[in-house]
Amino acid sequence: MIDRLFGGDTYTAATRALDATALRQQVISHNLANANTPGYKRQEVQFENELSRAISQHDNPCAPRINSVRPRVITVGNTSERADGNNVNLETESVNLAINALKFEALAQSVAGTFRALKTAIKGS
Amino acid sequence: MPLSSSLQISASGLTAERLRLDVISNNIANANTTRGADGLPYRRQQVLFAARQEGSSFASHLSHARGKVSASGMGVEVTSVRPDLSTDFKMVKDPGNPDADANGFVKMPNIEPVIEMVDLIASSRAYEAGVTAINAAKQMEQRALDIGRA
Repeated sequence: MIDRLFGGDTYTAATRALDATALRQQVISHNLANANTPGYKRQEVQFENELSRAISQHDNPCAPRINSVRPRVITVGNTSERADGNNVNLETESVNLAINALKFEALAQSVAGTFRALKTAIKGS
Repeated sequence: MPLSSSLQISASGLTAERLRLDVISNNIANANTTRGADGLPYRRQQVLFAARQEGSSFASHLSHARGKVSASGMGVEVTSVRPDLSTDFKMVKDPGNPDADANGFVKMPNIEPVIEMVDLIASSRAYEAGVTAINAAKQMEQRALDIGRA
């Protein structure tokens, strides 16, 4: 029963996604800190697509497991916002920052819900 | 610990932008300085930024040893503050000035107030964005702590 609670797909996916969201926060901070660095190219975290692929192919034994999906940091090098080669857009990064914070909050609530369910199972009320 | 490094990354951005603000203020303050310590007019100062890669801290060595390589950078650093040699001093006719040459021309600093103002605004916007990122990271850390409180 407890294994089911902690090994469940929802819990595993939520904790993995929390890690990825925290990493994305770091990457967005890095982009914002380098908003005025000439030639700097913005970085991005890729995670959600691979996670949803792992979830949708859950029954396929050859597909990657949910807990083996790792976020990847990639550099977006093929665009330019300004003459100095920097491609950080303050508006885009701010929006991503807000989305990311909301996502983190939703995931944290989901994980906290798992613990609440466990507590209810232990205490009975 | 990505959330606490987010705070340090943002802090590096704030430090860099504040230094840039200081240098821009210094440029504006010296827009009419015709004689410095070397006898020449004031020369515009420029701040050079570079993206900081993962440092040589204990934490980064530890995460390398554990096989966890974070590909994200670690903020921004100021590599140098150097004089702007790309433009020449402006020559202004002012025969009454003690620094005027034989033809009555005075060498003025190579500072364009409009350029300095644009840089000033860009720098202050970037600073604000960094503050927003710090607040978001703080809020996320708070939410993470709330998980255990449930």
